[in-house]
Amino acid sequence: MDTMSLLMQGFSVALTPESIMFAVIGAILGTLIGALPGLGPANGVAILIPLAFSLGLSPTSSLILLTSVYAGAMYGGRISSILLNIPGDEPAMMTCLDGYPMALKGKAAEALAISAIASFIGSLIATIGLVILAPILAKFALKFGPAEYFALFALAFATLGGITGKNQFKTLMAAAIGLMIATVGIDISTGVQRFTYNTLELFEGVDFIIAIVGLFAISELLFFLERHAGDGLKQVAINKLKLTPKDIIKVLPASFRGAVLGFVAGVLPGAGASLGSFISYTLEKRVSDKDGTFGKGDPRGVAAPEAGNNGAASGALVPMLTLGVPGSGTTAVLLAMLISLNISPGPMLFQQNADLVWGVIAAMFVGNLVLLLLNIPMVGIFVKLLSIPPKYLMPVVTLIASVGIYSVSHSALDLYFMVGFGVLGYIFRKIDIPLVPIILGMLLGPEMEKSLRHALVLSDGDWMALFNSGLSIGLWSVAVLGLVLPVIVGPIVRAKMRKSKEAVKDV
Amino acid sequence: MRINDRVFGMLMLILAVVYGWEATKFPIPFGGHESVGPETFPIMLSLILGISSIYLIVRPDPDEKWAPVAMLIELSVVVLSMLAFAWAIEPLGFMPAAALVVSFLSWRMGASIAKSLITGVTSSVVIFFLFNNVLELALPLGLLEF
Repeated sequence: MDTMSLLMQGFSVALTPESIMFAVIGAILGTLIGALPGLGPANGVAILIPLAFSLGLSPTSSLILLTSVYAGAMYGGRISSILLNIPGDEPAMMTCLDGYPMALKGKAAEALAISAIASFIGSLIATIGLVILAPILAKFALKFGPAEYFALFALAFATLGGITGKNQFKTLMAAAIGLMIATVGIDISTGVQRFTYNTLELFEGVDFIIAIVGLFAISELLFFLERHAGDGLKQVAINKLKLTPKDIIKVLPASFRGAVLGFVAGVLPGAGASLGSFISYTLEKRVSDKDGTFGKGDPRGVAAPEAGNNGAASGALVPMLTLGVPGSGTTAVLLAMLISLNISPGPMLFQQNADLVWGVIAAMFVGNLVLLLLNIPMVGIFVKLLSIPPKYLMPVVTLIASVGIYSVSHSALDLYFMVGFGVLGYIFRKIDIPLVPIILGMLLGPEMEKSLRHALVLSDGDWMALFNSGLSIGLWSVAVLGLVLPVIVGPIVRAKMRKSKEAVKDV
Repeated sequence: MRINDRVFGMLMLILAVVYGWEATKFPIPFGGHESVGPETFPIMLSLILGISSIYLIVRPDPDEKWAPVAMLIELSVVVLSMLAFAWAIEPLGFMPAAALVVSFLSWRMGASIAKSLITGVTSSVVIFFLFNNVLELALPLGLLEF
C-alpha cells in the first residue's frame, strides 16, 4: 500500500519553505565542496555536521541539508574533472576521460551541461530505486538477530576497502584502530571504565565528529602545505553554451544505462561510486563506441560515468538507511550525523521515524531538481569560485571547521583533539592506512559490541551461535569474499583504470 | 625502502599487546562474570590488530616518500600554530586569534604577507559576525570585550 502514500507524506515535509531553503543552501554548498579539488564530499559533510549540530537544527532539517550537500558534491566533482582534468573526488575520475578532451576542443560548456543532465538522470533513477528497494530491504532486515548483525558489521568492514582496495591487512588494521577508540569510555552495559585512566574527559568516549574533522580536513591542509599546492591550477576557459535538444537526446540512453549500473554498484557492499562510474564508462564504451571517439571527447563518455557516480551515490544510501551499515566514506559521515542526532539507522528507522526518512527521500528529489536548475545557468559562478587559489581558501575552510568543533561544547580541549587527529590522519595517509574504516569503527563499535553481547548471552556463551543461521553464514561468506577477492581482482581493475587514464593524457 | 610499514607495524603491535593486556585487568563488573564481559570485545580487537601488525612487519609495502626535514619542521610549526589558536581563543578572543592563525596559514601556503593579512582579518571578522549575529552562536570576544 503505503510506499506511495508515505512518499507523498514525505513531500509534504520536503516542500515546506524551510526544507526547500535548506535543500537549496545544501545544494550550493555541496557543489562548491565537490568542485574544489582536495575537499571531497566526506570532508565537506564532516565540516558541516558540527555546524548543523550547534545551530540546533531539527533532525529533518539537518538531514535534508546534509543529503543535499552530499548530492551537490557529486555534481560538483565533475566541474574540476572537466575543466582541470583533476577529479574533485575519486568517482569523478572517469569523467576526466572524455570531459577534459571536450573542454580542450572548446566545448567545456557543453560538457558541463551534458554532465549536469546525466547527473540529474543518475540521481533521479537511483532515488526511485531507493524508494522501491529500501522498504523491502528494511522489512527483510527485521529478521536479523544479534548474530546476523554482528556478521553484517564484520561484512561492512571486510568490504570497505572495496574491489579496488590495496592492502587488506591495512583495512583490517584501520578498522581495529577505530573500534579500539570506540571502546574508550564507560562500558554501556556493565559500567566498567575502559581505557579512561581516570580522566574525566574520556568517560564519555572520544567524539567521532572531532575525529572525522581532524582526520579528513586538518590532514588535507597539511598535505596541501607539503605539496606547495597553494596556487591552484590552470583551468580551461569556458565557452558559450550551444546545446540543441538533439545533443541531449543523443546522450539519454548512455545516461540511463549508467544510472542503473551505478545504482546497483552503490547498493552492493564494497563496490561504491568509483566502481559505479568505472563500470558505466566501460560498458558504454563497449556498447556505443563504434567510431573510436571515446576518450577523445565523446559526450556519451561524459554522460555515462557521471550518471553512474550519481546513481551510486544515491544507491549507497540504501544500506546506510536500512541496515545502518554505510558503504562509503561519505555515507559513513552521514551515519555519524544520524547517530549524533540520536537516531539509530536500521530497519526500525522506517517504522519509528517514517516522517524523517520519507521527508529526506522526498528532499532528495527536490534537491536534485534544484541542482539541475542551479548547475546549468549558474555554472559560471562555480567556475569563478573554483579559481580562488587554495592558499586563501584552505585556511578559511580550516577556520570554519574549527569554529564548528568549538561551538559544539565551547571547549578548547576539543580543538586540541581535532589537531591531534589531524596529525594522526597525516601519518596514516603517509603509510597508506585508509581513514574510512577508522571512522566506521568509531561509529559502529558500540553497536557491534552490543550485538556480540546479545548473541552470546542468548546462546549462553556458545560462540558457535554466531554462525548458527543460514543468513549469518551467508553474511560471513560474503565478508570473507570481500576480504579475499580484492587480492585477486584488485590489481586487474586498478591497472585497467590507470590504463584508460593514461591513454587520455597522450591525446 | 620498506621502513615505514615495519616501524608502524611494530608500534601497532606494541599498542595491541598493551591494549589487550590492559583489557584483561578490567575489574569484574558488579553482578559477577557473564559470558561476555567488558574485556571480551577489546581482546578480540587486540588479536586482529596484532595479526595485521605482524603481517605488516613481515610483508611491508614500499614506502611513500616523507617530506624533507625542513618541510616536516614547517608542518610542525603549522600544527603548533593551530594548537596556539585553540589555546588563545578564550583569553585573546576569537577575532584576534583567528586573524593571526588564518594569516599565518595563508602566508605559509604561499600568499604574500599583505594579502594573507587581508584574508585573515576579513575572514575572522566576517565569520565572527556571521556566527554571533546571524547564526546566534556566541564566540568569545576576549580582549575586545569592554
